[in-house]
Amino acid sequence: MAEETRAERDARFERDALPFLDQLYPAALRMTRNPADAEDLVQETFTKAYGAFHQFSEGTNLKAWLYRILTNAYINTYRKKQRQPQQNSVEQVEDWQLYAAEQHTSTGLRSAEMEALDRLPDSDVKEALQALPEDFRLAVYLADVEGFSYKEIADIMETPIGTVMSRLHRGRRGLQKMLASYAKDRGMVRSGSGGTPE
Amino acid sequence: MSCGKHHDVPCSEVLAEVFVFLDAECDEPRRHLIGEHLEECGPCLQQFGIEAQVKELISRKCGGDRAPDGLKQRVLAHLKSVVDAEADGR
Repeated sequence: MAEETRAERDARFERDALPFLDQLYPAALRMTRNPADAEDLVQETFTKAYGAFHQFSEGTNLKAWLYRILTNAYINTYRKKQRQPQQNSVEQVEDWQLYAAEQHTSTGLRSAEMEALDRLPDSDVKEALQALPEDFRLAVYLADVEGFSYKEIADIMETPIGTVMSRLHRGRRGLQKMLASYAKDRGMVRSGSGGTPE
Repeated sequence: MSCGKHHDVPCSEVLAEVFVFLDAECDEPRRHLIGEHLEECGPCLQQFGIEAQVKELISRKCGGDRAPDGLKQRVLAHLKSVVDAEADGR
């Protein structure tokens, strides 16, 4: 490895890594679900990234590397802090699995509902995403908002690609079901025009 | 969820692969086959359209939160304090 002085490395960190702050913040916000924790999480991510930056080789995917640190920091620190009992998420997963099995391959959404979803306020869509079990929420965020490939998501979440695909599938189906019910609650979809069956 | 016509690749297979297709994760020959199916099959094309719209909706509505103005300065100051503490420890 080429020699790099501390000052050079600091400059490289500020130039290359720090600009990702604006992208990491909304991701942290979707993870922690509140701005104060999101700020702390972003700070912790950059502190860890700075400490490990000498191990990061230029030319590899810096963005994915930072997201991996962010995800690990979230799982190791904030999830514990936020005291979401593991038990709870297991139950949720079974629920979602059941739902996914019911739905098979079809979305449950129709064109009429899609038009209504488009008019939902941003906060509803964010809320629906944030209501997903954590693993599903992260997979959907990384794929749909950040545009990471399955391989990159597998690396970030440290799971096999098959698990990523299943999380995406179930996460998206769950999200669609929630969005459809929001649209219905807001009276944007008339009953009988294709709402999800109760 | 079928138009009732015969297809080389059945609707059930095509619909099962909707996310792989929209996420641009299927290989070129498969992509071509699914694309051919979608040209012949209205119901499948409509489902793909809805899935693509939901994907786009999430992308558009869930990512745009602006980081607070002072956050970058706060992170930089914290890094500096970490470096200084390290230097003091030597």
